[in-house]
Amino acid sequence: MTRRVVFLGAATLLLVVAFLAQLSIGAITVPMGNVFAAFWSFDPQNYEHNVVLYQRLPRALIAVYVGALMACGGTVLQGLTRNPLAAPSTLGINAGAAAFVVGGIHLLDLGLAAQGAAALAGAVLGFLVCVAVARFAGLSRDPRGLSLILSGALVSMLLVGIANAFLLADPSRRTDLLSWMSGNINHVYADRLTSFWWIGVLSLFVLAVLARPLTLMSLGPEQAASAGVDVKRVTRLSLAAVMLGSGSAVAICGPVAFVGLVVPHLVRPFVGQGQIAGLPACALAGASACLVADLAARQAFQPYVLNTGILLDLVGGLAFFVIVKRYYLGTAERTG
Amino acid sequence: MIEASRVSVAYGHTPILFDVTARFTPRRLTALVGPNGCGKSTLLKAIMDFVPLTGGTITLDGEEIRSIGRRKLARRVAYLPQESHCPDYMTLGELVELAGFARYSLFGGPSAKDRELFHDALDIVGLAGMAHRQVNRLSGGQRQRAFIAMILAQDAEIVLMDEPVNHLDMKYQYATLDLIGNLTRNRGKTVVTVLHDLNLTTAFADDVVMMRDGRIVASGSVRETVTQDTVAQVFDLDADIFERDGRLVCLPGAKGRETIAA
Repeated sequence: MTRRVVFLGAATLLLVVAFLAQLSIGAITVPMGNVFAAFWSFDPQNYEHNVVLYQRLPRALIAVYVGALMACGGTVLQGLTRNPLAAPSTLGINAGAAAFVVGGIHLLDLGLAAQGAAALAGAVLGFLVCVAVARFAGLSRDPRGLSLILSGALVSMLLVGIANAFLLADPSRRTDLLSWMSGNINHVYADRLTSFWWIGVLSLFVLAVLARPLTLMSLGPEQAASAGVDVKRVTRLSLAAVMLGSGSAVAICGPVAFVGLVVPHLVRPFVGQGQIAGLPACALAGASACLVADLAARQAFQPYVLNTGILLDLVGGLAFFVIVKRYYLGTAERTG
Repeated sequence: MIEASRVSVAYGHTPILFDVTARFTPRRLTALVGPNGCGKSTLLKAIMDFVPLTGGTITLDGEEIRSIGRRKLARRVAYLPQESHCPDYMTLGELVELAGFARYSLFGGPSAKDRELFHDALDIVGLAGMAHRQVNRLSGGQRQRAFIAMILAQDAEIVLMDEPVNHLDMKYQYATLDLIGNLTRNRGKTVVTVLHDLNLTTAFADDVVMMRDGRIVASGSVRETVTQDTVAQVFDLDADIFERDGRLVCLPGAKGRETIAA
């Protein structure tokens, strides 16, 4: 209990510090006093106020949104499938969004707002195709959800292949699209956040309500049903919430892959398996991870600005290696 | 009381249970006994409404099980599957707390009475003071008792168990079945459990349902049911059944060994 409270407190503190740092640090450093002044007494003539409110604040909010939704989506999917590799990125959501956006631009010349809607539709469709393939392959007889992960890999390969085909066919837009496709937390997508934020809030609310039955589901469907969980209803509701929530996150700034996969594993040793503490811990840690990664991507390689998604993939890959080695292989060695 | 009336179940086109009729008497320990694949586990799953019936009905005090909502059913019937999984990092305390789910409101949690129940459940299975321990770090015997504590914390009057002493050594088999037997004797619970060992069955069960090929061959009290004839009929074993210290002992004879060797 104490460890849980300390972790939640530390994660909240990290989020607040990273959020303020995101508003203050950049090509020009805005003193903290001026950051607060941009909110309390906004002066349209003040350049720094404009930077804080119209560039850095949307960017920070996008990072928080994407990090929280992806990490919560990851922990719920890992619990439901009882597979540590389950995440929005491994179950066709990211690839579906990418294929629909690139295809939509190429075929229908979609604008920025319509691209967001296409990404959401693609995320939903990518996930549904992944589940359909897994069911065809025998998901109901597969207690560890391996068929879901394999069909996710298959569907993702197919959809990324389609997206790449469109990219190669359209050199003029390739640079812009490649940036979005590698996960680009950027204030230019603020309009999409304004359009989609309610989907994420609704998704998190549904998952919070289902926190206890979702924890029971990690024991297996029969054990959960025996304890009183309506397994079918909880599965459908939570999958819909994850699909729409993480789909809306991908729609805003492209596929940010590793947050959903890695953050739940980082959080679990501190807060345990229960989703009542796990969901807020994942939301806080995921949001902080995206904020810190975005800050590092902007500041670490100046004058160049790295894509946040690329930095998260690099750091996430290393973190995942450490997690697998320490907690999974390590546990097997200890108990074996 | 749980009553199964002319129950049939099939997995796809493969029939598993045929016309099974059984009544499980309240406050008694009933063992389901029979060879592998005879439908014992399927009967428990059918009672829990985990598999659809192709015929017949299963009722709880006259009400059809499949029309009872999951939460309501969980307050009356608890089920321990053959293989219990627990995710890493889940503690014993968390496990027993989850068992009370059917009693909690949408945003609520356990009451003071529930917490007392959880403490008692851990105490009964001999794991008091270990609530903070991770379930997956416990020994095999402790882990099985942890899941029995979860069943106790659910506080249902009827408990269904699918091979609860599987994978346990002899000492823990006896200790666990003693614990399960006490649930009926001291706590008034009705227990229906799948068992493989006839000697454990005669030592701990009050009633026995013997099954073969999806059908019930014999049912009733231990002494009525476990006979040379029924054992030969169900297991194809020529067994000696004799009494020692007031209980039946089953000793497979030469015919059984020959059958297996062949």
